[in-house]
Amino acid sequence: MDFDFSDDQQQLRDAVRRWVDKGYTFERRRAIVAAGGFERAAYGELAELGLTALTVPEAHGGLGQGAIDAMVVMEELGRGIVLEPLAQAFVTAGVLAQYAPQELQAAWLPRIASGAVLVVLAQQERKARYRLDVCEAKAVVAPNGYALTAIKNIVSAGDQADAFIVPAQLDGQIALFLVERAAADVSTRGYGTQDGSRAADLQLASTPATLITTDGLAALELAVDTAIAAACAYAVGVMDQTCAVTFDYLNQRRQFGVAIASFQALRHRAADMKMQLELARSMSYYASLKLGAPAEERRRALSRAKVQLGQSMRFVGQQAVQLSGGIGVTDEYIVSHYFKTLTQLEMSWGDTLHHLGEVSARMQEQAGVFA
Amino acid sequence: MDLAFTPEEQAFRQDVRAWVRANLPPAMAHKVHNALRLTRDDLQGWARILGKKGWLAFGWPKEFGGPGWTAVQKHLFEEECAMAGAPRIIPFGPVMVAPVIMAYGTPEQQKRFLPGIADGSVWWSQGYSEPGSGSDLASVKTRAERVGDKYIVNGQKTWTTLGQHGDWMFNLVRTSNEGKPQTGISFLLLDMKSPGVTVRPIKLLDGECEVNEVFFDNVEVPADQLIGQENKGWTYAKHLLSHERTNIADVNRAKRELERLKRIARAEGLWDDQRFRDQIALLEVDIVALEMLVLRVLSMEKSGKNPLDIAGLLKIKGSEIQQRYAELMMLAAGPYALPLIQEAMDAGWQGNFPGGTLANAPLASTYFNMRKTTIYGGSNEVQRNIVAQTILG
Repeated sequence: MDFDFSDDQQQLRDAVRRWVDKGYTFERRRAIVAAGGFERAAYGELAELGLTALTVPEAHGGLGQGAIDAMVVMEELGRGIVLEPLAQAFVTAGVLAQYAPQELQAAWLPRIASGAVLVVLAQQERKARYRLDVCEAKAVVAPNGYALTAIKNIVSAGDQADAFIVPAQLDGQIALFLVERAAADVSTRGYGTQDGSRAADLQLASTPATLITTDGLAALELAVDTAIAAACAYAVGVMDQTCAVTFDYLNQRRQFGVAIASFQALRHRAADMKMQLELARSMSYYASLKLGAPAEERRRALSRAKVQLGQSMRFVGQQAVQLSGGIGVTDEYIVSHYFKTLTQLEMSWGDTLHHLGEVSARMQEQAGVFA
Repeated sequence: MDLAFTPEEQAFRQDVRAWVRANLPPAMAHKVHNALRLTRDDLQGWARILGKKGWLAFGWPKEFGGPGWTAVQKHLFEEECAMAGAPRIIPFGPVMVAPVIMAYGTPEQQKRFLPGIADGSVWWSQGYSEPGSGSDLASVKTRAERVGDKYIVNGQKTWTTLGQHGDWMFNLVRTSNEGKPQTGISFLLLDMKSPGVTVRPIKLLDGECEVNEVFFDNVEVPADQLIGQENKGWTYAKHLLSHERTNIADVNRAKRELERLKRIARAEGLWDDQRFRDQIALLEVDIVALEMLVLRVLSMEKSGKNPLDIAGLLKIKGSEIQQRYAELMMLAAGPYALPLIQEAMDAGWQGNFPGGTLANAPLASTYFNMRKTTIYGGSNEVQRNIVAQTILG
């Protein structure tokens, strides 16, 4: 039982933090949002730092690092509310490495690692809300593989990505497929989301696809759990920064002739924010530490984590705006952007109520970190 | 970063588990698992069993006769005791006053007082709060006047937990009115059987007498029962409060009580009631998050870092969780938590409890009792002040 970071992890953290501080300023981010919410060059800079290769197996040109390394990186990206969806590299590389046939791995993993391609998960359907077992997309056998017909929504950077991992029904069960954006009969329609990042609707009409696995639901669950762990870590970074900025503001802002940090009502609110931040950080560690556990244990743990993170994110975000007063509701002030990011994260990969239902359904006699 | 305990720590846990299983009287465990009334004999009986093994002093270093366990080992020991249904260790002697005596007492005082604490033969009480000194502890007024080789003590302490059983008492007393309130306080040990000491139990809202008022009327206390220097008592008291940061969260007990809550929910037909079950799930998440927080503090202590900024959160969250499980247990029983019959909380009671099942008998009482947790040990509002101080200055 040890929650210390290794020297390598500390160096990784420092490197990402340097890039965020110098290379991904609030001004640059603002420009990226204005330009659509995704910048290939910024994604390329993440790749240059080795981050797209982080969790890709060494045999496929990656660095073969684990969930904790990914967590460290995501915390730092959260600190800078970086829009480019690095987590998608962790998610899709993880699924391909664990479930795809060797030749498919060899074709895609080195390019994910180098940042040459962005592969994203496209699972969201209108009728599914947050359920992973609800899927209307259909796959049929075609002369050179498979053909997919599907409508998927809120696909991260969907009109910028190079390929998609898409769940679809095949012979009565969910299978996972890889679809290239350059393939025939792929249409995307991009738009901005709450936090300024980019998403797209994806429409496939008998589109050529390659089978990743027929064990699609299990693979999808692993993908989403990986995404949850990354979102938790990213949220911890956002909340860390939100708290720091807010606490600093309380000491700077003067009303009634004194710093407003002297008012007990506000001090207690700040203490409650700190509580939510640390509970969230604890559960983010827990999420990443449990990613390698057997599926049932992993699912239970990740849902527990998302319930805590969801509550923490909403509280910290809302209170940061409140404690910042009028400036907190302006677009100019960074806290409003932290708040929107936290709101979006709470509603991504299953919101608090959804995961509370999951925890509830998976409850056992005994409970605790080790049960 | 690794969640698993080391093989040595796991082996340690197994040893403790086996010993507790073999030595904890089943009748005691039955009472604890069902929240039945524990007598002085139960509490001190378990203390003596632990004392004989050398484990009542489980937090002590070897040089004072303790096992010299690490923070993690102490946590595992407490977890095994809690899950097995052992009565809680009354902390005033082994956990609270002993470290002060070790750090600031003379060798004679250590020789005189520590053995009786370690073997469970002497019951200690805490003399901190006074009618006018709750959260503002530094305002204590109980006076100790030095006359020759004695102190003459006059005044009143209150909220003295289980003081009706007490043999000895450690007190914050005022020895000077000069300077800041904190600078005139001394740390004095006294024999509760001394002439002039009167203990009066206070009946609480649950009908139990868990705390007491203690009156001092010209009580003569030999001067060699002063710990450290006169007027330095506040420093010693702070040392005491800084000890054992993690056990105040009581997360191990919370895990045991969560299991009991689930049993009650099943018995009351609520396990498949989604609205109620979600409330249990929410509490389960809270408890896992608190446990992770505790483990983080332990890990920091293990690697020599100061967990100050998060340790302050443990009491707030832990006490809120204690109140919540007590509340949910009572709500689970619904109308059958309304009958309140004091005798039904005694083990072996043969009466006919009107609350559906005997398991429901203590639920309301425990709920009422648990309201204390966010008030004592520094109210949660004071705790928030402390947390705010670390983050805002």
